[in-house]
Amino acid sequence: MDGNLLPLIALRPGQRGRIVTMNVGRGKARRLMELGLLPGEVVEVISNSVGPVVLRVRGMTLALGRNVASRVWVEVIP
Amino acid sequence: MSEVLVALAGSPNVGKSTLFNRITGGDVHVANWPGVTLQRAEGKTEHHGIALRIIDLPGTYSLSAQDIGEKIAREFIVEEKPDVIVIVVDATSLEKSLYFAVMALELYRKAVIALNMIDAAEKRGIHIDTEGLESKLGVPVVPVSALKGIGLGVLLDRILDVVQGRARTCPLRVDYNGLETFIHEVEGLLRDKGALDKYPSRWAAVRLLEGDEVLLDELKKENPELARKVHSIRERARIELGEDPERIAISSRYSLIDEIVSSTVTRVRLAAPTLSEKLDQLMLHPVAGPVASVLLILFTFFLIFAVNTGFPLNILLDHMGYNELAALVEEYSLSGILGSLFDWLSSALSEWLTSMGYEDWLVGLVSDGIIGSIGTLASFIPLLLMAYVFLGAMQDSGLFPRAAVSLDNLFRRFGLSGRAFFPAALGMGCSVAAVVSTRAMDDDRERMVAAMASPLIPCQARLLVLLALASAAFTNPLEQSALTVSVYLLSFVLYLLTSKLLNKFVFKVEYAPDLVMELPPYHRPSLRVIWWYARSNTEHFVKKAGLLIFFLGVTTWFLLNFGPTGYLSQGDISMSYAAILGNLLTPVTSLIGLPDWRYALAFEVGFVAKEGLLITFSSITGAADPVEALRSIGITPLKAVSMALAMNYYVPCLATVAALFSELRIGKYVLLTVAIEIALALLLAGTAYWVGILMGLS
Repeated sequence: MDGNLLPLIALRPGQRGRIVTMNVGRGKARRLMELGLLPGEVVEVISNSVGPVVLRVRGMTLALGRNVASRVWVEVIP
Repeated sequence: MSEVLVALAGSPNVGKSTLFNRITGGDVHVANWPGVTLQRAEGKTEHHGIALRIIDLPGTYSLSAQDIGEKIAREFIVEEKPDVIVIVVDATSLEKSLYFAVMALELYRKAVIALNMIDAAEKRGIHIDTEGLESKLGVPVVPVSALKGIGLGVLLDRILDVVQGRARTCPLRVDYNGLETFIHEVEGLLRDKGALDKYPSRWAAVRLLEGDEVLLDELKKENPELARKVHSIRERARIELGEDPERIAISSRYSLIDEIVSSTVTRVRLAAPTLSEKLDQLMLHPVAGPVASVLLILFTFFLIFAVNTGFPLNILLDHMGYNELAALVEEYSLSGILGSLFDWLSSALSEWLTSMGYEDWLVGLVSDGIIGSIGTLASFIPLLLMAYVFLGAMQDSGLFPRAAVSLDNLFRRFGLSGRAFFPAALGMGCSVAAVVSTRAMDDDRERMVAAMASPLIPCQARLLVLLALASAAFTNPLEQSALTVSVYLLSFVLYLLTSKLLNKFVFKVEYAPDLVMELPPYHRPSLRVIWWYARSNTEHFVKKAGLLIFFLGVTTWFLLNFGPTGYLSQGDISMSYAAILGNLLTPVTSLIGLPDWRYALAFEVGFVAKEGLLITFSSITGAADPVEALRSIGITPLKAVSMALAMNYYVPCLATVAALFSELRIGKYVLLTVAIEIALALLLAGTAYWVGILMGLS
C-alpha cells in the first residue's frame, strides 16, 4: 500500500481507490462516514476538474468539495 | 380503536414525499415544526375503517441529532412514540439507504420497511428476497412503488398488523465487535441509575460511546457524575481499541448492511450506461455545466414570465414586427386576463351599488378597496404557483444539486459553496422560501450569510412591480426589458458581493465551506409530487398573505379617502391621512428623486408586502391596472429606474423579516440585513437618479 497513497483530488475520472484515512474534523468525519465514506470502502471518481470531486461510493453519487477531497487519502486500485 | 399515529421516515431521495403523498391522497396539512421554520406535513387516511394520522418526518441520512432535521426526527420518535414508523428505503440502492433503517430500528422496533422503487429495481435486474430481509431486520418489509402506486394496500395492512400486534417485531441488534464490552458497561450503569430511561438502554449506551452530544448533554443534566463516568469509559475504549468508538460503531452498522445485502440482493445483469451518466457528463463538465445550469434557470423563468405576463415573449414578437401578436400575447397572459376580469368586476359592482342607492364611500370601499386588493392577490397566485411547479420539478428531477455542484467554483470566490445556489433560485419565487431553504446548509456561517443576502433576489411580488414600472415608464419594449433584466442581473451580483462582504467584515472568515452533497439519480419528476409541492406552498402563502393583503387594501383605501376632516367625497386626496403619513417619509424619498407623498406612502405599505406598492397606486388613482395607475401619477423613465432600484432593495418584506428572525435567531443580524438593504436602495436609486439628472434626463 505504500507508494500509491493519493488524496482523492489526485484521481482521474474512472480511477478507483480504497479509502485509507480521512484527515478532517470530528463532525465532518462523522458526516462522511455516515454517508458511507469509511476507511476500507472503495470509491470511483466520476468527475474531477475545477469544482467539487464527484465520486461513487456504495451505489451513491456524492459531490465532495476540493478541500475535503484533498484530505481523504486513498490507495489507488490499478 | 382510536386514531393510529404513523411516522414516515427515511433518508433524502428515497421517494418519501411521493409515498406520503400517495398514502394521504393529497389530504395534507402543512405547518412548521415547533420553533423552527422547517416544514411539517401531516396527512390523514383510513384503512379497514381505522383512521391513520401520518406525519412526514424530515428526510435525514442518520438519527445522530447532528442537525435540526435529525433532532426533530429523533425527538418525535422518542417523545411521541408513534404506533408505527414506516421506514422508506430505496430498493435500487439498499447498501446506501439501509443505514438510516438500521439507525431507526435500533431505536424503535414498531416499524415497517417500505421497499420503495421496487419497479425500478426489477427493471435494472435487482432481485430482493423480501422474506430474507424481514428475518434479518425483524420487521415486516413491503415492496412498493410510490410513483406507480404499487403495494400501498399491503403496506397499510402491515402497518395495522404491527399496530394490532399481529406481526411480531423484534429489536435489531448490531454486533459492535470490540465495543460490546464497553456497551455492556455503560448500559449497566444507565440501568442501575435509571438514567435516560426514555431511550432503549442499549441504544443510549451505543450513542453515548459514539459521542452523541445531545444525549451527553441530557445525561449531564440528569446525572453529572454518571456523565463523567461514561466519558471516561469512552476514553478508555478509544485507548484500548486504538480507534475512535464512533468509527467502530458506524463501520459495524455498515458491515451488518453488507451482510444483509449480500444475502438478500441478487443482481442478474449489469446495468447499461444510464441516462444519468450521460447527463452528468454535461452537467458536471467544468465549462458546459455552469452554462447549462444558468441557462436552465433562465429558461425556466422565461417560461413562467411569458405565461403570466407575456414578458418577454411580447417584446420579442414586437421586435420581430409582429405587433398584433405581441399585443395578443400580453392580453391573453394570465395576469392580463385576470387584470381585465377584475377591472370589469370593479366597475360593474360600482355601477350596481350606486344604482341601488348606496352611499359613495361604501361603493368606493367595496369596488376599489376590496375588489381591487383581491384582484392584486389573484394576479399573484398563478405566478407563484408556476414558479413553484418549475422549482419543484427541478428539485425532484435531480437537476438542482447538479446545478449547485457546477456553480460551486464560482460561489467559492465569494466565500459560499454551491449550496448557496438553492436560496438564490428559490428567492426568485419567494424570499421567505429562500430564507427557509438555508436551513439545509450544514455550515452555520454560510447558512447565516446566505439567509441575510437572499432577500436581495427579486421575488415574484417584486417582479410584478418591476414589470408595471417598466411598462408604465417606457414605451420601447427593448427599454422595458433592459430595465427588468438589469435589475435581475444586478441582484445576483449583489447577492454574491454582499455575501463576500458579510463573510469578510461580519463573520471575519474568508474561506468557502466545503460541499458534501449527494447527487441523486435523475428521474422523470413525479407530477403528483410537484403539484402537491406547488399547491401546498401557494396555499400556505395565500392563507398567510391573503388576509394581510386584503387588510392592506382596505386600510389603504380608508387612509386615502378619510382625513382629519372626515370622508373626502370628491377626493381632495392631499387632505387624507395617507398624504399625512406619506409626507413623513418624503424627506427620504426626495434623496432618490421621488419627493412625492404618493411614492412615500407606497414604500410604507410595501414594507408589509411588496405587492402593496401596486395596491397603493391603484387605490390612489382608482385604476385597477397598475400600469395605468403609475402613468396617471406621472411616472417618468428616470423616476421608474430610481423606484425600481429602491423598491427591490429598500427592505425585505415583513414576512421575510419574520422568517429571518426565526432562522437567524440573532436580532442584531436581522437589523443588519435591513440596514444593508436600506443603504443599498438609497445608494443605488440615488446614484441612478442624480447621474440621470446630470445627463439631462427626466
